[in-house]
Amino acid sequence: MNQHPHGWGRPRDDVYGAYDSSYLNSTQPVTHTQRPIVTGTSVLGVKFQDGVIIAADNIASYGSLARYDNVERLLQVGTHTVVGAGGDMSDMQYLHLLLDNLLIKEQYPADDHHLHAPQVHSYISRVLYQRRNKFDPLWNSILTAGADPNTSEPFLSYVDLRGTTFSAPALATGFGAHLAVPILRRHVPDEAAVKDLTREDAEKLVDECMKVLWYRDARSGVTYSWSVITKEGVETGSKKIENQSWKFAEMIKGYGAQNI
Amino acid sequence: MASSYLLPHAQHAPHAHPTASSQPRQHHWSPYTENGGVILGIAGKDYVIIAGDTRSSEGYNINTRTARKIFQLGSGIILGVVGMSADGEELARKVARKIDDYKRNHDKHITVSAAAVMLSRTLYQKRFFPYYCQPLLGGLDENGVGAIYTYDYVGSFEREQSRAFGSAAALITPFLDNQINLKNQFVPGSNGEEPRTPGDMPRDLVEKIVKDAFSSAVERQIEVGDGLQMVTVTRAPPRAEEEEATVEDDDEWTGSTISETLSPLKQD
Amino acid sequence: MDALVSKYSPVELDAALAEDSDDEVSSSLPQTVSFILPPIDQPAKFLRAMTDDHANPAAPIKLKHGTTTLAFKFQGGVIVCTDSRATQGSWIASQTVKKVIEINPYLLGTMAGGAADCQYWLTYLGMECRLHQLRHKRLISVAAASKILANLVYSYKGMGLSMGTMLTGVGHGGVFGLYYVDSDGNRVEGNLFCVGSGQTFAYGVLDRGYKWDLTEEEALELGRRSILAATHRDAYSGGYINLYHIKEDGWVHHGFNDTNPIFWKQKLEKGEFQNVSTTLDA
Repeated sequence: MNQHPHGWGRPRDDVYGAYDSSYLNSTQPVTHTQRPIVTGTSVLGVKFQDGVIIAADNIASYGSLARYDNVERLLQVGTHTVVGAGGDMSDMQYLHLLLDNLLIKEQYPADDHHLHAPQVHSYISRVLYQRRNKFDPLWNSILTAGADPNTSEPFLSYVDLRGTTFSAPALATGFGAHLAVPILRRHVPDEAAVKDLTREDAEKLVDECMKVLWYRDARSGVTYSWSVITKEGVETGSKKIENQSWKFAEMIKGYGAQNI
Repeated sequence: MASSYLLPHAQHAPHAHPTASSQPRQHHWSPYTENGGVILGIAGKDYVIIAGDTRSSEGYNINTRTARKIFQLGSGIILGVVGMSADGEELARKVARKIDDYKRNHDKHITVSAAAVMLSRTLYQKRFFPYYCQPLLGGLDENGVGAIYTYDYVGSFEREQSRAFGSAAALITPFLDNQINLKNQFVPGSNGEEPRTPGDMPRDLVEKIVKDAFSSAVERQIEVGDGLQMVTVTRAPPRAEEEEATVEDDDEWTGSTISETLSPLKQD
Repeated sequence: MDALVSKYSPVELDAALAEDSDDEVSSSLPQTVSFILPPIDQPAKFLRAMTDDHANPAAPIKLKHGTTTLAFKFQGGVIVCTDSRATQGSWIASQTVKKVIEINPYLLGTMAGGAADCQYWLTYLGMECRLHQLRHKRLISVAAASKILANLVYSYKGMGLSMGTMLTGVGHGGVFGLYYVDSDGNRVEGNLFCVGSGQTFAYGVLDRGYKWDLTEEEALELGRRSILAATHRDAYSGGYINLYHIKEDGWVHHGFNDTNPIFWKQKLEKGEFQNVSTTLDA
């Protein structure tokens, strides 16, 4: 313990070694056990008047290489829940394994109790928080979307590799948090606005956001999977981004050969 | 445990004498993040208010505008947490469970002073891997007087009249010192000789001070805004004799009433 | 072989996730409390990276630190005096900290260094002292109590505790004891100690005025004056002056008083602190 007046009570270098600031790294994705290798990018989710829509593209990148173009990042869990994951794909698959096991276990009693989105979200967030406590995080950002089978009340929540959770009428992970969220919030700034958003408008809105991400997120893909969850259940599909216009690219200066 | 930290080749090649440069470089990952926001607590003669904004952010991103930072733990006790929300919510969950266990084990509600010690021990248990959150515990004490207990990250605690924690603590604390504890205020006409003594403040006045504190902090701190969650504990109205007899689940009666209000703050 | 078998047998995934039993809610005694360590090879380095606000003023977790404390023996017992400021970095986290911890009616501990460490371990010591009293049917001696504390923190040496405490009081047979114990495991008996970032300033005044034959009033005043000097010169000290006197039948509290009026009284009535001007143009 340092006994000098300045720094009194603090650790001494000769006892503890030099101060090591590398422990403070929050972005450097390298841990002792793992780092994200094959990664997925954004997941989007928006609540609308009688449900919620969630979407994620089908690309899995290896660094800057678009390694796989047929990856399904949305997983239906039970009857009224879909989990979308970005980040490390192997960690996502491990989580899918956990969720499958969880669901099977919940089926055994046949007591007519079913896990819905809030429970699934809670389970995932406990797993992720506990793994961060072990300094061995599951390197994912996850959206859980669902609708109550009785009330059709939409549910949408986020959880990430540190166990941080939050909910909002519209959410996006990864690059989408920067590019899509501002667009989404323009349409659904709060829960009240959710009541006025129709399913058609929500689908259009997500399509619009996926297009913006396709334009600007270099790790995104041109096809994406979507799920709409209402009280009737889950409806899933795949979509390719149509009506592309790359005219804005002509405006970009500063890269490659060009005449100004 | 320690060896799992090393790279595989270093583990299985005991013959290789690693030199300083060939030693596996250690990389570290921080388990902490900061979600911003501010909470404040004020204790009165017969009430306690803990208030917090509802913005949750990470860096320059606003995660959500509707995150609550103040939790009801049961037995008339409330907890505000600010810092890393995952740690804060974990702490609230843990202490709420312990408060529930206390009630089951002892067949009575925990007092706020006992809950305060228990929260301190819960924090200190993680002395070497601290929770990244600063908690404020509130409730009415055995005499029905408002109590705010304030903590540092690893469990040192103190009972206080008022306290602000979080990213705008430096903005709000001097305001509270002046307006609640009447620091550097003097009796008018005493030529700065006679300091004003803090007494009990009416609840409606304190609520105004809380709102002013938040709307001012919002103007100068980017991590604060969106909404104001205000949780108040007051004494429950004494029950009539016959009513008491008819209340079946008498255990639930804590003598406190907790109310919560949400009001808007600026969103920019 | 067993390791191989277990490695490739199907595991119950939930069991793999089950948290170590760090969270026993049952009413276990603190002796059995285990502290949660970050599961990395050098937990102390991690803790330091997060909490050492001296090496890195931008460290995320700034623990509360206490500052100037003193205690001395004299013919009439022991005087214990502290300031009340707690800082987190350069932020004054509190001006009203009780840095004298009342372990029992006969024993006091002071708080310098990490506030939580002092609070926790001195409270723990209080339990040990009570158990000693129940087992042996007499008060624990200050020497024994301080040794319990020193052994305890020594077992955590190198893990990052920060505690500089003076343990003082009156033990069995009316014997006064005064020990300095810190988180490095040092345990020193003495007649006079100042501890904390303001210790040098307090020593200056205390050494100048100290003698064994001080009257009770002189001793109380000397303690108060030494802390006043420290609060004046050490930015990390301030707030209120907390004063105790330990007599043969236990300690007596002599107030928790704002330094500011005491300072001006000292200056204007006794003519001290002449370096401080009362006007702007001086």
